[in-house]
Formats: sequence, C-alpha cells, structure tokens
Amino acid sequence: MISLRDKAWSPYVAGVLIGLLQIPAFLLIETALGASSSYVTVGGLVASWVDPAIANIDYVARHIAATGKNWWQVAFVGSVAIGAFISAKFSGTLRRGISPIWARALGTASPGVRYAVAFVAGFLMLFGARIADGCTSGHGLSGVAQLAVGSTVAVAAMFAGGIGAGVLLLRRI
Amino acid sequence: MSLITAIIIGLGMGVVFGFLLEKSRVFEPGIIVGQMQFRSFIMLKVFLTAVATGAVVLAALNGFGIVKLHPKAALYAADAIGGLLLGVGIVLAGACPGTTLAQIGVGYRDAIFTLLGGLFGAVAYSYLQPSLAGTIFAAGDGKILFTGLFGIPYWLGALGLAAVLAVVLLALEAWRPWRSEIGPNADGDLGAPAAAGERATRPLPAE
Repeated sequence: MISLRDKAWSPYVAGVLIGLLQIPAFLLIETALGASSSYVTVGGLVASWVDPAIANIDYVARHIAATGKNWWQVAFVGSVAIGAFISAKFSGTLRRGISPIWARALGTASPGVRYAVAFVAGFLMLFGARIADGCTSGHGLSGVAQLAVGSTVAVAAMFAGGIGAGVLLLRRI
Repeated sequence: MSLITAIIIGLGMGVVFGFLLEKSRVFEPGIIVGQMQFRSFIMLKVFLTAVATGAVVLAALNGFGIVKLHPKAALYAADAIGGLLLGVGIVLAGACPGTTLAQIGVGYRDAIFTLLGGLFGAVAYSYLQPSLAGTIFAAGDGKILFTGLFGIPYWLGALGLAAVLAVVLLALEAWRPWRSEIGPNADGDLGAPAAAGERATRPLPAE
C-alpha cells in the first residue's frame, strides 16, 4: 500500500499519475503538458524591465501576453516546488546543500564549481529547449504520446546529448 | 476561461506534478545522471510510463472526439540541435526544466543557479529568435504524426505505442527492479551508506 510518508513510490505508479495530468491539460487548458515556455514568459517579462525593447520581439510578446496558456504554465511549473516540498516534508527527504553525487561526478566537492556548472547547465538546457521548441515535458511526455515526428527526433537527440555529456564530461557516479 | 482560473488550475496541477516528481525520485540529480550513465533506469521507467499513460488517455479523448491534439511542428534541425543542447544541459544540471523547481522545493541549493541559468538561456534565445526565421532552424514538415505517415487513426497508433511501452517496461523491471535503484538515501546514490534523518549531505568519499 502506498503512503504519503513513503520516500519513494513505484516509478510506474508515479508515472501513471503524471500521465493522467494530460487530462486536465487537454480538457481545461486545451494544451499539452509542458514546462520550458514558462522560462520565456518569466525571463522575458523580467528582461523587459531592464530592456523594454525585448517586448517588441514577437516571440517574447507572444510569451508574456496575459493569456491563460502562458500563465497557466508559469503557475504549473512554479508550484512544482510547492508539491515537491510537501512530498519531501511528509517523507523526511528534505535536502540541504547539494546532492552528494556531484563531488564524484565533478571530481571536486567545491560548491562554487557546482553552482557555476549548474548555471551553465541551466543556460544550455533552456537555450536548447527553446531552439527545439520544447523540453522533456512538451516534447517528451506530450509529444511522444501524441506520436509527433519532430518530438521523437527531439527526445532521441536529448538522450544522445545527455548520454554523451554524461559519459564524456562527468565522472562515473 | 479567465486568466485567474487558468492560474488556479495551473497551481493545483503543478502541486500534484511536483509531489509526484518527488515521490518518483526522478527529480534527483543522482537519478538523472545515473540514467545517462546507465547506472539506473528510474528516469526511463517514470518517463515511459507517463508517455504510455498519456497515449492511452489521448487515444480515448481524441478517439471519441472530445479533444483535439496539440502536437508541435517537426523542425528537424531545430529538434536535433536543440535536443542535443538540452540533453547536455540536463545531465550537467541533473535536472530538466520542470524538475529544477522540484529540486528547489526540497532544498537543493545548486538548483537556484540552474533556474537562473535557465532564465538567462531563455532570454538569450529570445534575442536570437528573430534572426532564425528563414534559416534551417525554421525549416520542417509541420505538425506531422507517425500515424498520419502510416495512414492509420491516431487512437490506434497511440494504443499500439502504449502496448509496446508496456512490454518494454515489464522487461526493464524484470532486468532491474526499481527498488534496487533508489539508493539508501532515496537519491539515486547507489554507493551511499545509509544515513539517519533528513540530511542529504554527508562526508564525501575520498576520490
């Protein structure tokens, strides 16, 4: 029997429940699950306070517009932090600092090195996701389930990049 | 639907999504890096199960004419190059754009830098985006589906995909039972000694 206090649920139980989130997404918001557009919405809005001209770029204007889809996704992605906190609070798996795997993967226990790598990684992640027009959620969960040809190419490339960099740039954890 | 309603629905769905990402452990850097280094397969198990479930759900909703599909256009060069960069970012971050927020929620400090990097990356792309029009990055075939290429109804292809994934998942689980891949601290660190309490950090092994 699964409990809210369990540290880990079966990946199959969690996976089924995550897949079921497509129901409210398609029925209520008329969109598929996705995450990376929200970075353009939030990043573009904040950038427009510094450089108002960015809002003249059609791509940015479309993403920061006060539409249900744009801000549904910002709320969806932002509140992931709340849900994860609640789950970890129940099961006693709240974390401090950084994951112990990084000292081995990076070959140094320096938090500064880890923070720098994380920043660059975040940059690559969203720069790549925006080029591809989607991430693990939009192309992965939603695109593959819809049998979209482009999404399947994107997911294959994503795993190729992840495996390549995981083997070549990181040490074995 | 009003903006406020959409935001409230997003908040509710996001809390559920975050809860499930945490419970599945797929948000852990050790699980993501472990998958890319073939030490563990939890990420693939969660991902393929969610895809299969989504396919069954959409086969029903679309097959009965209740919803339209929302596939993205096939932009081959953009999908391949963007996907590669995204993958490199994912393994170095130990996170995806969505799970970065789950890491922040549980207290991983480096995830704040991943988030900041992500926002800068999205803004950098936004400045570049207008100059990509008319290049190979904007070239593609539109919103095509494999079922369209094969000339079969979407619902049939989606149920077929789900059936194939179910077989793959059964084989994966027989080969690598999921409980053996979580690690003593539930962080995918399979070599870690069991630690007491909530602390993730502990003395690091000498390199």
